[in-house]
Amino acid sequence: MTALLEVNDVTKRFGGLTAVKGVTFKLQKGEITGVLGPNGAGKTTLFNMLTGFMQPTAGTVTFNGEPLKNLAPYQVVNRGMARTFQLCRPFVGMNLLENVVVACLSPRANSDKDKEDRAQHLLEQVGLGGRGSEPVETPPYGDLRRLEIARALATRPDLLLLDEPFAGLGSSEIEPLAQLIKKLHREEHLTILLIEHKLREFMALVSRVIAMNFGEVIAIGPPEEIVKNPKVIEAYIGKTEDAHASA
Amino acid sequence: MKRISWIDIAGGIVVVAILALAPVFAASNYLTGVLTVCVIYGIWASSWDFMSGLTGRENFGHSLFIGAGAYTAGFMATIWFTNPWYSIPASIVVAVTFSLIVGFPTLRLRGPYFALAMLSASAILQRLCLIFWEYTGGEEGLYGLDPMMRSPLHYYWFVLAILVVTVIILTLLARSHWGLLLRAIRGDEATCQAAGINVTFYKIAALAISAAFAGLGGALYAHYQLQVSPPLFSVVTSITVIIMCYVGGIGSIYGAAIAAILLTLLTEMLRGFGEYRLWIYTLTLILILFFLPNGMVAPFWRRLTERFR
Repeated sequence: MTALLEVNDVTKRFGGLTAVKGVTFKLQKGEITGVLGPNGAGKTTLFNMLTGFMQPTAGTVTFNGEPLKNLAPYQVVNRGMARTFQLCRPFVGMNLLENVVVACLSPRANSDKDKEDRAQHLLEQVGLGGRGSEPVETPPYGDLRRLEIARALATRPDLLLLDEPFAGLGSSEIEPLAQLIKKLHREEHLTILLIEHKLREFMALVSRVIAMNFGEVIAIGPPEEIVKNPKVIEAYIGKTEDAHASA
Repeated sequence: MKRISWIDIAGGIVVVAILALAPVFAASNYLTGVLTVCVIYGIWASSWDFMSGLTGRENFGHSLFIGAGAYTAGFMATIWFTNPWYSIPASIVVAVTFSLIVGFPTLRLRGPYFALAMLSASAILQRLCLIFWEYTGGEEGLYGLDPMMRSPLHYYWFVLAILVVTVIILTLLARSHWGLLLRAIRGDEATCQAAGINVTFYKIAALAISAAFAGLGGALYAHYQLQVSPPLFSVVTSITVIIMCYVGGIGSIYGAAIAAILLTLLTEMLRGFGEYRLWIYTLTLILILFFLPNGMVAPFWRRLTERFR
């Protein structure tokens, strides 16, 4: 069986800085995989390269058996890879429903007759049912995150990339969102790749972890192995005096 | 997508009826002429508002399309002596061509490139009119266009009908899914991309539609003045149109059209003040924009009709 996503030796340099260095991994269909790493490890840069927001300096990304080279972000989305942003970026001046309708108009989603109906249904699916007419400026951050997920789902993705889905959420919002992600994975047969800082939620959610530090993959494996991996501990806790806990 | 409420339709009918009947009761050729110019400005302003008001990408060179349309009409009339009616399709084609030439390279980019490119393109064409004066008549411009209709009143009604059709088409587009996508572009281009939308395509298409109506308005203007000259391309024309849209309430389209008519009338009425005219006009604008940053016409209309919706 071929992998859904194959990342092969991907590197991104910004001038003298190498943000991502020779990253290689595969995602199988139906997996929930997490990318773990401290700030500045290159996780978001990696996401940006996968989704076409940046082009890699070297290396290849293959999705569904096709190389993603020089594609604009919207083209990547229409091949079935959707993403959310770390900072929620809704369309201001619109209501929640309209925010989702926009994505329902993308070529990949465009088969439905009634976009409003489908958007309504997606809002229900992420737990925002009946709130379509609310302006996007009012809801709490956790709901905007759900809105981002609904917008991504509207494009009928095979692979969903979540960039720090728990960032900026209150403690009461985290667990329900984790449940939502699990539910989507189960019911929609989605393959999910997510970036996260918060170790506990993360470890409970994913079946496999790609640990990064300074732009490189330092370990890949199931979460229970990763937390024992000395390199990962070093990256997170530091060796001796440099004690900096990020979870 | 969004229903147009009956009160908007009723309001529209009343405004159009007043505009259509005013010259009949006043029966002065002067008023008919002024109103014709008012209505043509309405076409220019509503076409600007469709692209720039919805997508938030300010076009600082709308005069490029206006002038291109007008000069197309001028060339056709003075070089090929064609029937004035042919000016209409020709000016639309030429204006749309210009919009694609400027739009393709600059609307891919974010940032101020588009605004600057439009500004420079219109300035360049104005210069070209002077440089190639053998063909364009230089400062004097082109003379001797034929009117489309004998009676100024009939022509005024014709132009008014075109404005009505323009506003209806652009409003329907703005309220359709197309308009939703254009407003999404105004919101956040990266999110649009993440939603699978080809942002560049929609921006260029919106500009082409905007240019088509502006070029049409340019040709109508040329066949009203029976003459075209370089100031049509000037920044002043563009800025005037932009101000009209802001006074009308950005993105409302009908607001831009009505503000264009009111402001053009205001300029005419101030003629009696001679040199003080510009002072009064500018001061009025500053006051309006200072106290009503969201514009005057559309917000006022919305508040007035709130309880009927």
